Amino acid sequence: MADEDEDASLLWGNNVSEETDLSDETQDFRFLNNLTAHDTGNLSLPKRGEKDFESHATNLQHSMLEASRQAMHGVLSWTRVHGPKQHILGMYHPMSNMAFVTNPKSQHFRTVGRAKGSTQWLLPEEALFLIERGSMDCRWPVKEDEGDDGPIDTQEGVPMSLQGAYAAFLGFEGGVGGKLTQEMYTVYAGLKRSGYIVFRMGTWNYERGELQVPSLENPATKEGNWFLRLFGGIWRRLTQASTEMPAKQLYFGPVVKPGLYRSYSDIYRLLQLTPFHDRMAAPTFILPPDHTNPFRVVFDVYKTDPKFKKSACGPPDFRIAVINARETSMPTAAQLNDLFATTPYDLPKQNMQLYQKLKHGSRNVILAVVDNGIPSYIRIADSPFAEEKLYERSVHQGNKRGKGRGGRGRGKGRGRGR
Amino acid sequence: MAPVTEPFPISNVAGRYLLFDVDVISHVRRNHNICGVLIGTIPNLSQQNVFLGIPLQLMPEEARVLVEQGHAYIFDDAQAHMQGFFGMSRKDRLEFLRMMDERGQQRARDVRRKAEERSEKALREKGLLQARTEQKESEALVAEGDPGTDAGGSLFGSTPQLPANRRVADKKLAPHFITPTTSYPPLAPPSQPSTLALPEVPRQYPIYRYMQSKGYFAMPGLRFGCHYSIYPGDPLRFHSHFLTTGLGWDEEFELLDIVGGGRLGTSVKKTYLIGAEEPEKEEGEEGKVRAFSIEWAGM
Repeated sequence: MADEDEDASLLWGNNVSEETDLSDETQDFRFLNNLTAHDTGNLSLPKRGEKDFESHATNLQHSMLEASRQAMHGVLSWTRVHGPKQHILGMYHPMSNMAFVTNPKSQHFRTVGRAKGSTQWLLPEEALFLIERGSMDCRWPVKEDEGDDGPIDTQEGVPMSLQGAYAAFLGFEGGVGGKLTQEMYTVYAGLKRSGYIVFRMGTWNYERGELQVPSLENPATKEGNWFLRLFGGIWRRLTQASTEMPAKQLYFGPVVKPGLYRSYSDIYRLLQLTPFHDRMAAPTFILPPDHTNPFRVVFDVYKTDPKFKKSACGPPDFRIAVINARETSMPTAAQLNDLFATTPYDLPKQNMQLYQKLKHGSRNVILAVVDNGIPSYIRIADSPFAEEKLYERSVHQGNKRGKGRGGRGRGKGRGRGR
Repeated sequence: MAPVTEPFPISNVAGRYLLFDVDVISHVRRNHNICGVLIGTIPNLSQQNVFLGIPLQLMPEEARVLVEQGHAYIFDDAQAHMQGFFGMSRKDRLEFLRMMDERGQQRARDVRRKAEERSEKALREKGLLQARTEQKESEALVAEGDPGTDAGGSLFGSTPQLPANRRVADKKLAPHFITPTTSYPPLAPPSQPSTLALPEVPRQYPIYRYMQSKGYFAMPGLRFGCHYSIYPGDPLRFHSHFLTTGLGWDEEFELLDIVGGGRLGTSVKKTYLIGAEEPEKEEGEEGKVRAFSIEWAGM
């Protein structure tokens, strides 16, 4: 029963364009009315905007609102039932605030849990999500000193309700020194529902993440023939008189001395006076280590992949830090620097468009800002403007006007002067 | 929908205010124009983020209004569960397990009955069920040789299902297991504490309380760059009208905030609203709240 909901992805159909995010607005639960576990084939989610501007106190409007509320009530009353075939029985472990499953025979364990022998151990967020989506039947532990004969079967434990699961996995978390907050769980569950594979980054038991030093190999110089590179270097040295200008000389002489210049690039290079941050240099932390610093990467996120293996998951596609909007304001430059220092040096691909390269950045991270249960995702990138030298762009690259350059994220109403 | 007796309990789990009872969730929506945010996953629809389910997370402001007006009280849910389940007696445990077992059996029977109804309906749609009853009649009448030649072929197709159905009915059903939504039972609902702990609220609380008292609904507004997006009615039916930011009475703020809020609000067909509470003039008297809406005039 629990797995039949995979069909719900079909609901998206074609009528959801990239720009509209249906979860932005409260949607009408009546559209779920006919949706049972057996009948999800021919439905599609509603388009937005099927609402009224304001109340006009008509019976029609009242009855429509009433129908929506009834539908919502109906959907929220669905119970979590485990059929005999898909019954995953878990046991709560109070010492670690985790849960374990002794007989893990389900697809879910490809992307959650850690195996210790034949037992799968679930972190609080993993256990809570499995319970919430109706995939796991978790039990409270049984008191041992009751004179029961022999070892107690998991099934003898009292079923943990959804309320109990929240009280335990989030409420008891502080008592065992855990770090999971409600906001982190909201982000975790939201990403899991969207189909991403989400893991904790590291163990969370550190004061801050590790420094990520860029590997010394510069990917830009790896390309091309060694022969061409060698002679290109000699040629450049012959033609450009002095690319590096001693600082002292700037006080007196002209920036571009009279002489022989064979290309504009040489002159532009001489004009490059503003110092910039060297992104290849090893990063350093600015702030002292602090375990309460909210600007830290907490989740490694992977795109859905049928071949995914949790034992060999490789570098994540996204790194996510979770921020509570009610308690935290915009990060300071120092906080951002320290956050970036813990993300790997991730250069954009060489064949990307200039704008995409700048957007991608040399290091990047996603901030999930949660305002009372509603997450917003913001991507922050360290844009390498100094490395993308406009004067070095070759001419034919400039002519290639990519398709993706139209939608630059500027408002469509630009210039309309509203 | 079962009626709700006030005051009802609000779970406090690690500093967040949650509701787990579907009746209470509907009740606050209907009677107190408080909609909160559904944050849970709906079982069997767990691969989408458009429709979310229980629990309902209340903003501290919403919890505060409910507690201040005597509709609800806050209790520490983690503590209640720790006492209730780690100290549960053997007798209570076995009794609850028996009850859950019964519900599981009932559920298994329902599932089977539904499956039977479905197959019966499918058969009827294909005109086979009629053939089946005809067959029974014809058996009783000891046959006239050809009981409808046209239905004969498919009739053979359906016959193996009949004994199979009967066999399932005779066998003891494999039990289903249920994860209840709330913990009552086995726990008794939390009793009302003698001292009311008021939830901590941010400084923009007055404007929320004011709009709520006028019958408006509110949702967290970070997505629109404000404190609350305010709805003229239930957000299930209506679009939001105001992007609301709460300020201090004498607080100075950047002119750019007005430009930002006003531009964004106008572009999403909403109005930017700022408001503040006048400081109390006398002890115990609630200050007046004043609100101003800002719109691009479009001259």
